[in-house]
Amino acid sequence: MTIKIYGSLVSRATRNLWMLEELGVDYERIDLDWIKQENRSPDYLKINPAGQVPTLIDGDVTLSESLGINLYLAQKFGGGVLWPDDDAGQARCIQWSVWAAGELEPAVYPRVYEFVFKKAKDRDDALIVKLAERTLPLLDLMEGALSASAYLVGDAFSVADLNVAGVMEYLDRSDFDIAQWPKTVAWYETTYGRAANQKVQGERAPVAEAMLKRIVEHSRSEG
Amino acid sequence: MITLLGKAASRAGRCLWALEEAGIEYEHKPVDYAKGEAKTDSFRAINPNAKIPALTDGNVAMFESLAINLYIAQNYGKGSLWPDDAAGNSACQQWTLFAATELEPPSAARLVEFIFKTEENRSQEALDAAAEKTKAPLDALEATLRDRDYLTGDYFNVADLNVACVAEYLVRTKFALSSWPKVNDWITRCLARPAFAVMLDIKATEMAA
Repeated sequence: MTIKIYGSLVSRATRNLWMLEELGVDYERIDLDWIKQENRSPDYLKINPAGQVPTLIDGDVTLSESLGINLYLAQKFGGGVLWPDDDAGQARCIQWSVWAAGELEPAVYPRVYEFVFKKAKDRDDALIVKLAERTLPLLDLMEGALSASAYLVGDAFSVADLNVAGVMEYLDRSDFDIAQWPKTVAWYETTYGRAANQKVQGERAPVAEAMLKRIVEHSRSEG
Repeated sequence: MITLLGKAASRAGRCLWALEEAGIEYEHKPVDYAKGEAKTDSFRAINPNAKIPALTDGNVAMFESLAINLYIAQNYGKGSLWPDDAAGNSACQQWTLFAATELEPPSAARLVEFIFKTEENRSQEALDAAAEKTKAPLDALEATLRDRDYLTGDYFNVADLNVACVAEYLVRTKFALSSWPKVNDWITRCLARPAFAVMLDIKATEMAA
């Protein structure tokens, strides 16, 4: 049975689409339009009670949490490649995924909200400063890890890199300058630039542009 | 042998709970963050993040309390803390990330107000904001627990442990769970487990020292 991913190209589902492209696994993407509240329909709430995207369905497995879905996909289809064979490597893939969700995402996601959805004059400058302060030690940590090895878990690309880069893209999108962390810059360019992700990002770009226009119109209509 | 670094009153308490559930021998070093013990070179060699908890086990060295618990479950809790099937395993990972992303931010915000501030300095605004953000994850838990006793089925595993050790902040700060009766019943059962009581004993002993 084909894997189903619920979510649009302008949602955290892109992280999973990137993973599926890396793995070369067949899948079907089911777009849910949150402006039309399709993520709150009774049918969708049955598979994801919080009404969030993405959700993965693979046979009898139904999962939410984008980074958790990626761990599942790596474990099922990426053994020895995206999912290391050794206990220590596997432990660190999970560590970096939880770190990306618990430490990195809260520091960088609100920044996108300020930069992408708000006009320059409406930005909360105090929040932006606070977020930057929170982000610096996280980048120091990554720089340290990437000074010891080419990728976060040893010298090969793994689900750890994909999950962390999938969150770091928020810094990229909100023009956060990471030049003072050169190893991280090089790692991000190589990782985020992978063909599998570029395919997803290429499909996403025009959809994102159209979506942004709709969000602006929607927020105006909400007064 | 596993060594867990970090005093029980920190997020290391979550990992002590998992170790006690697994019932394995381990060494515990109550590294104290407030005393700067996590900022030393020797600690940074184990955890460059300079935070507690950290775990070492042979050639494994890792940080992030909830990830450490998954490691403990996978390696020392097969068939109990760690389910035998792929669907169960992935559900454990999903709930762990749910705990980290959805539940921890509002729960931790509440804990900060209650534990680190005196009553007159408590921010009602922060508490209200946290309460608002807590509703959606509690609704998701309530919906999940409607047809089962534990998050992934009919027995306690690392999914429950990782969500309960974060939801415990709500219990500790007397957040009213009456609108979520299934959650209330579930967290009561989780926190009544003997392994959790052992962790509380370790914490009390450390705090008295």
